[in-house]
Amino acid sequence: MSRWSYFAKRLILSIPVILFGTSLTFIAIRMGPIDPVAAVYGDSGTAADMARMRESLGLNDPLWQQYLEFIWDMFRFDLGQSWVLQPGSRTTDLILSRAPRTVWMGFWAVLIPLFIGIPLGFYAGLNPNTVGDYTASFGGIVWRAMPNFWLAVILMIGLSNSESLLFGFDWKGFILHTPQVIGTNEFQSAWNGMQAGQLEPVQWAKATKQILPASVVLGSASMGNEMRIGRTAMLETKHSNYVEMAKAKGVSGRSLVWKHMFRNALIPLVPVITAEANLLLGGSVLIESVLSINGIGLLFFRALTQADLPVAGALMYVFILLLVFINIMQDLLYTIIDPRVGYENE
Amino acid sequence: MSQQTTHGDDAPLLDRIRENPQPAIRWAAVAAVLLALQVGAVFAAMMELPPWDTIAGYVLGVPLLGALEPAFSAVAGVGDRLADVPTLLSRELIPNRGHRVGNGPVFETTIAGFDLVYWQWDGTFLGLPAAVAWFVRVALVYLYAFVWMGWLWKGYLVFRENYRYADWTPADDVIDRMRTHRWGQFGFVVITLFVVMALFAPALGPTTFDENIDKPYSHELEYLDKETGEVETTLVGNANLQSKSRGSGNENIGVGSYDEYDRWHPFGTLINGKDLFTFIALGSRVSLFIGLVAIGISSVIAFGLAMVSAYYKGPVDLATVLLSDSIQAMPRLLVLIAAAVLLGETWIADIYNGGFLLALLFGSWGWPGLWRAVRGPSFQVVEREWVDAARSYGQTPRRIMQKHMAPYVVGYLLIYASMSLGGIIIATSALSFLGLGITQPTPEWGRAISMGQEYIATQSWHISIIPGLLIVIVVTGFNALGDGIRDAIDPQSDSGGASGESAAAGGGA
Repeated sequence: MSRWSYFAKRLILSIPVILFGTSLTFIAIRMGPIDPVAAVYGDSGTAADMARMRESLGLNDPLWQQYLEFIWDMFRFDLGQSWVLQPGSRTTDLILSRAPRTVWMGFWAVLIPLFIGIPLGFYAGLNPNTVGDYTASFGGIVWRAMPNFWLAVILMIGLSNSESLLFGFDWKGFILHTPQVIGTNEFQSAWNGMQAGQLEPVQWAKATKQILPASVVLGSASMGNEMRIGRTAMLETKHSNYVEMAKAKGVSGRSLVWKHMFRNALIPLVPVITAEANLLLGGSVLIESVLSINGIGLLFFRALTQADLPVAGALMYVFILLLVFINIMQDLLYTIIDPRVGYENE
Repeated sequence: MSQQTTHGDDAPLLDRIRENPQPAIRWAAVAAVLLALQVGAVFAAMMELPPWDTIAGYVLGVPLLGALEPAFSAVAGVGDRLADVPTLLSRELIPNRGHRVGNGPVFETTIAGFDLVYWQWDGTFLGLPAAVAWFVRVALVYLYAFVWMGWLWKGYLVFRENYRYADWTPADDVIDRMRTHRWGQFGFVVITLFVVMALFAPALGPTTFDENIDKPYSHELEYLDKETGEVETTLVGNANLQSKSRGSGNENIGVGSYDEYDRWHPFGTLINGKDLFTFIALGSRVSLFIGLVAIGISSVIAFGLAMVSAYYKGPVDLATVLLSDSIQAMPRLLVLIAAAVLLGETWIADIYNGGFLLALLFGSWGWPGLWRAVRGPSFQVVEREWVDAARSYGQTPRRIMQKHMAPYVVGYLLIYASMSLGGIIIATSALSFLGLGITQPTPEWGRAISMGQEYIATQSWHISIIPGLLIVIVVTGFNALGDGIRDAIDPQSDSGGASGESAAAGGGA
């Protein structure tokens, strides 16, 4: 089987996966115990309003027709409109206006673990059973065991009161002045500036400093995972025959590590890095609601708690698409990096 | 020859014990004494823990079954009477609620800057200060639990020496490796502490759920008014109002302190004046219940599917892959949030204040991860020659899976289950932090964190920090135990792989 037919097979297999999730979402919001119309209007809605919404959502049609319409709308990316959060505005607009903040946070949440977790893990694997290894490993395990929401609360309070808690260290004035400790307002102005055609490095640096604590928390679990997998991968590579061989041939230590071991040890890390997608999506809801960052996660949470079910359903569909896409990308990347991975086993 | 048959490999354990009953009887006698110390509590737990009223409400609501009501109440009556049998580790035997006696401290000294003030107490165990009485009870509970653990271990040794046919089994090697695995043992100890806390929660707290958390205005307490020197009586609710921890001024009852009403608070109080330790002890019960039920459900599904899909392969395997892919394509935490909101008003959410619903959700959404973890080992074992041999002997697929495949795979399930438990505990507390899942008044650690988040930088830091630290410790413990089991079962194996690692993280909570 060639790479492309494997890819095609994966694409075909992803159709039932997406269909399953979308159908489940439909069942949850249309046939679940909460009536979307009654939830929106509660006791205050007039009969005319409720009838209008019922008509617009197509709730008067038979169920199978509703289902087909729902699937067809989702397929065409017609995500409907909001009824509570911003009545009348399109869901797509709601998502697009909030997406940049979540993506900005997620970008750093992927990057920070990559550049801290993997080097630490490799260091621990190269020097096993030393004090450094134990410190790094134990730190990684504890770091991963911390609940994200708790860590977020503590970081938030700790950095806001850094002068009294951290022996006079002033985080707000550290390098750049950011009066709001964690947030996206600096990012928003940087983003607006970029859309207007200006690149403001200082503004971007401020935006980065403001988002870093949130991203560190969001990436905390991934960082621990990458560290642990990186450590074992490096340990295994170190003891493999070809490394022994290279050592016997007299390859210098530096070139041994960087040329022969580093790239091979990266292979098992690919699924860990892509598995982050699931963690990031789930984590963003918590982090965004703890730190009041107005992103997609918070949108999903608000849509649910304030009974804007059409928006919540549409968002769930987008999340499913995203996860399926990332999974396919991961498998493809895997076959490119490591040709030994067979397509037949899948 | 008849001797031969009774000694056959298949002689049931009972026959073997009948042959040589001495060691077993000796072991069982001590176990019976240990159990007798707590028999009342066992029955009390049976009467209290399952939501009998709710269940009876539904069962007796069915017309025909309604006729069974007298039988139900008779059984309930017997259960209640047995629950009243006095137990060693009860609040009644070692009470820590009482008040100081009016005529001033017995003695007062200052040692190395610490003021030592010793009062005579009334109502507490041996007239000791409330803190000491509470500590004695906690120490006894843990002592009792560890004696039990030791005795169970002794039971295994008795079995090994006297009743097992084989001198050596692979399980011996596994246990030997576990005995030198310090990290795994650390996990084991932490988990034991946690489980004992959950089991003995009502006896461990300095006060009770009913009195302090659920119905504070239906209970009274006596205390010594230090101004007048008189013993006064007040409602627990009023006392709670005066014992809040809200950071500023003197509104704080910190770690290890008494409030104005002679009540001892090992972990301080919550923002509404309720006792944090009692809250945490009962919260650990909820977390453990959800974790165990959820893992039970997903283990059964994952294990069954792994066996079937490995044995039949082909379309069955493909269908399972598709189903698990479909479930994993929906981010778990988001699904949980959605389900908790959507099902929040239904009757399932009433059982155990939402605990049962959460357990179901975690269980039905958690199996794909478990299944992926045991799929590889299942596929390996089905290729082994003994499975082939069993097949050619004409054994049924069901029996082959049970006898020849399952024992090999179950260890891998344990590893992953231990790691997932930590994730479930984190995710449960995350949901209740958001105000979803476990509803009031049932305590949940996440709610304590949520209550105290504004006060972290103040003197009332304990409200958020202590539950958070406990989660970190317990989750680390579960991960360590998982590591230990893995190294014990399969010392050559590498780490659990990507899926195992991310399971421990609770889906991003």
